[in-house]
Amino acid sequence: MVTKSDTESIQVEIVPNRYLMPATAQSLLNEIYENGGIIRIMIHGPNLPRSVPYGPGKGAPIEENRDLLIEVGGQAFELSVKVGRIRLELESEKYFDGLKAACERALPFSFQIRRGKFFHTRPTLTDYAKFGKVEDTRILGLIDPKANKDRLAILSEEKVTIDDKEER
Amino acid sequence: MAYTPQYYPGSTSVGINRRKHMSGNLEKLRDIPEADVVSIMGHRAPGADYASTHPPLKEMGEPDCPIRQIVAPTPGAAAGDRVRYSQWTDSYYFAPSVPYWRSYWGAINCKGCDPGTLSGRQIIEARERDIEAYTKKQYDSEMTDVALCSMRGCTVHGHSLRLEENGMMFDMLARTEMGKDGNVYAVKDQVGIPLDKKVNLGKPMSEAEAKKRTTIFRVDGVSMHGKVGARKYDEAVEAMHHMWDLRSKWGYRPE
Repeated sequence: MVTKSDTESIQVEIVPNRYLMPATAQSLLNEIYENGGIIRIMIHGPNLPRSVPYGPGKGAPIEENRDLLIEVGGQAFELSVKVGRIRLELESEKYFDGLKAACERALPFSFQIRRGKFFHTRPTLTDYAKFGKVEDTRILGLIDPKANKDRLAILSEEKVTIDDKEER
Repeated sequence: MAYTPQYYPGSTSVGINRRKHMSGNLEKLRDIPEADVVSIMGHRAPGADYASTHPPLKEMGEPDCPIRQIVAPTPGAAAGDRVRYSQWTDSYYFAPSVPYWRSYWGAINCKGCDPGTLSGRQIIEARERDIEAYTKKQYDSEMTDVALCSMRGCTVHGHSLRLEENGMMFDMLARTEMGKDGNVYAVKDQVGIPLDKKVNLGKPMSEAEAKKRTTIFRVDGVSMHGKVGARKYDEAVEAMHHMWDLRSKWGYRPE
């Protein structure tokens, strides 16, 4: 009989029933952060361009989508998507119930939370094209393969980096 | 007895609403000033002259044609206006209208227009002063809920997405916004160019009202089959089966 280790990491997806305003996203992310045990986290949702991307109004600035700064765990970063889905990997199962409670506290409406496998483990062709040989496999599954550039906000203990073009 | 067209079968609320949309017998919910509708459409500055592609028909000297004598031209055609469009996006979350029903409404009730139906958006093209009148009708009537429907000339993305926290349909270009007073404001024209002044579109429908007025059959709303568990399906399904049957036979064995 194979006994599963209780220290194995688990992957979780949180899907709120509405798209989150930056303030709600901030409070949700902070609650998740305070719950602890996060190995990696990805926020996902429709793109918020800084200017009209095509059509007769191409190039007109979209002020509403600029400077959507949120602060998570004492570090500020800029949202470039409307938060609609959060995927994360937790160190072990023991953080799961706390995560669920954190979502219930932060979200004023219903949501779905489920465990599964949401990050790929082997580099795709796109990963190879963007990074070459991937040394740190934690980065896999965090990149939007369709983005012109790799859009990635890395929140670590030392620094925050956001790699994104200002005007798109 | 005078003939009343039977536009759509069924006794569900959605069937009744679909009939209402097609017949054009719609309730007027709001009155948005014509100048504001024109500015949201973004083709012409409100108050400016209409650009034309040909001289007025009266000056052109039309050929002697029985059809032209029977059919009166629309005001836009008579004046020689250019053709312009308005395009709508309706949320899957119980928006009052859907692309097909906007098109049916246009094709049945609007003279001289060209409706185009796509999965997530619906466009109507017509002569400029005609399309302005048709667009105002759509804006003012129960076909439109200001939170769940919006005029989007481009970047229509949003109809199939979850709603935002405040109940608005997602819009990448932020053309409409929910004011602090609970009213929805149009801040940009349909292609995303900021307007000189915000246009107050009024309060959005409540969720219950949107469900009451919708023309969308949904598993979590009204089913096309009618009452769940009923012995007999609603007439809408029977009619659809009937059409499917005839079409299949016609397709397979045209006699």
